Amino acid sequence: MNNAIEVNNLTKYYGSTGSGVLAVDHINFEVLQGEVFGFLGPNGAGKTTTQRMLTTLLEPTEGRIIIHGHDLEHDAYPVKRQMGLVPEESNVYTELTAWGNLMFTARLYCVDRVERAVRAQELLETFGLWEKRDVKAQNFSKGMRRRLSIAMAIIHKPALLFLDEPTPGLDAQSGRAIRDLIRQLNAEGTTIFLTTHQIEEANQLCDRVAIINHGQIAAIDTPERLKQTFQQVQSVEVALEPDGQAHGQALEALPGVTTMVKMGDKWRLYTEDPSALLPQVMDYARSHELRVVSLGTLGPSLEDVFLEITGQQVGTVRHEAQENKSQQQGMRGRMGGGR
Amino acid sequence: MKGGWLGRLRDEISQAWTVTVKDMKVYYLQPGMIMFGFLMPFFMFFSFSVQRDMAAAQGVARLLAMTVFFTAAAAGPFIIPLERRLGTYDRLLVSPMSLLTLLLGKTAVGAFFAIGSSGFALLVGVVVFGVSLAQPWLLAGGVILGAFSFSTLGLIFGSIPTRNPGDVQMPSTLLRWGLLFISGVFISLADMGIFARAVAYASPLTYAQDLMNHGVLGQGLINPWLDLVVLFISGVLFLVPSVLMHKRSRRLGY
Repeated sequence: MNNAIEVNNLTKYYGSTGSGVLAVDHINFEVLQGEVFGFLGPNGAGKTTTQRMLTTLLEPTEGRIIIHGHDLEHDAYPVKRQMGLVPEESNVYTELTAWGNLMFTARLYCVDRVERAVRAQELLETFGLWEKRDVKAQNFSKGMRRRLSIAMAIIHKPALLFLDEPTPGLDAQSGRAIRDLIRQLNAEGTTIFLTTHQIEEANQLCDRVAIINHGQIAAIDTPERLKQTFQQVQSVEVALEPDGQAHGQALEALPGVTTMVKMGDKWRLYTEDPSALLPQVMDYARSHELRVVSLGTLGPSLEDVFLEITGQQVGTVRHEAQENKSQQQGMRGRMGGGR
Repeated sequence: MKGGWLGRLRDEISQAWTVTVKDMKVYYLQPGMIMFGFLMPFFMFFSFSVQRDMAAAQGVARLLAMTVFFTAAAAGPFIIPLERRLGTYDRLLVSPMSLLTLLLGKTAVGAFFAIGSSGFALLVGVVVFGVSLAQPWLLAGGVILGAFSFSTLGLIFGSIPTRNPGDVQMPSTLLRWGLLFISGVFISLADMGIFARAVAYASPLTYAQDLMNHGVLGQGLINPWLDLVVLFISGVLFLVPSVLMHKRSRRLGY
């Protein structure tokens, strides 16, 4: 399979080289034609900077980007014709109607007059916006603007589509519709470069993911292979009654538990050996006359892998949450409120 | 690629026109454009002309020069930073057209706005003040080339790497006001001292005002052909800093 994108030694300094801020640090990766490639990273890791360099919006300080065989720095025109971009903010023209926005973009990409009308109708119907085609985008909800923004990005049938955080802030239905659309576009042959910090979304959609941290690629592989690399973050999840919440500390003290995280009314106990931990949890429940509402073992999730790689150890969230909670309680006590 | 370089040229012209038409639809009725572009020259004209001993034709020639200057130069500093802030400028930058095409499309937005506004000003002059035109073709040339030149001047400010229109409005307004006072609009070239006149010759507005004088009054101090050539060349030269600043914006990430 050919590469859709080849990135060699890509580097970006904001400010002068050496003394400026190093946002992307000599990264290398390839995206295969026809795959959904996820680009994950915490805030400030260099995701958007990389994506802006790949879409010609930002000039790299160093390195080379080849897209569909064209060097982006010297031969961007043929790449731009085959590329679509859905930025994080839905950049539609709010003073234009849905139809006007699509016609404008189609003209910008020199889509034939007849084809652009057919394509615009097709997209508006697919995105559930056909009835609203003559309504100005300023009257659209966030989800509708998002869908319109995606429709604008694909009106010229790009071979390569960049999506920057396509679903945050959307209701579940809109988010699902957009994920379905990404799958459909990919099935039709579009290569997708998905920048996101929604790990579950990447897990569901991506053939491969790259995790960027502090401007460097920390890992790159299929989601399942990445999970296999981190078997130490397997876990046992248990819900106990009555008053199961009171047993957290005791459960954390069980042999083999490395970290524990409260997950709603359940406890997730991280361990390298779930099969050894399971009987201990059962024994504990029996000896304290607790009913086991649910009990199961879990492999590492992509989120666990992400947290391990980006240095945010599993369990950090819990400790931070506990610290915040105790700080809030202390504050309430000082203010004389709360019980 | 279809049609080689000829096809590409046709595409680029069509894309520039697409940008122009979109901006006309989206921004012409925005309060910022109406205030800083359309109303400002009229307010300024009346504040500097009321109770002055001036012939109607002379007043119309000044109003036309101010209208072309202010309206054409208003579009770039208003539209581009606003589009950068809304993220819509990225859509234009990633599309398959050259930077020059984009800038020419944006230039036309200001130029058409200026041509329309000065047409209105001319109508007021002819209908209300009964002014007749001495050399209409020179006037048309002055309006068109002045609109082009001042629109590319405005584009320089629009190209400053910022997402805040306020950062651009202040320097652009300062320059526009400064040029207005040194360019023979309020004080005619003939009444200026040698030094002031030398400074005035450095301003493209001087040549536009002179052309308006030729067109409306039938007399000016400079050869009208020189006026036309200077306006055209300055318009082309003003594109250079815009291109350079866009390249700088791409380095900085705006």
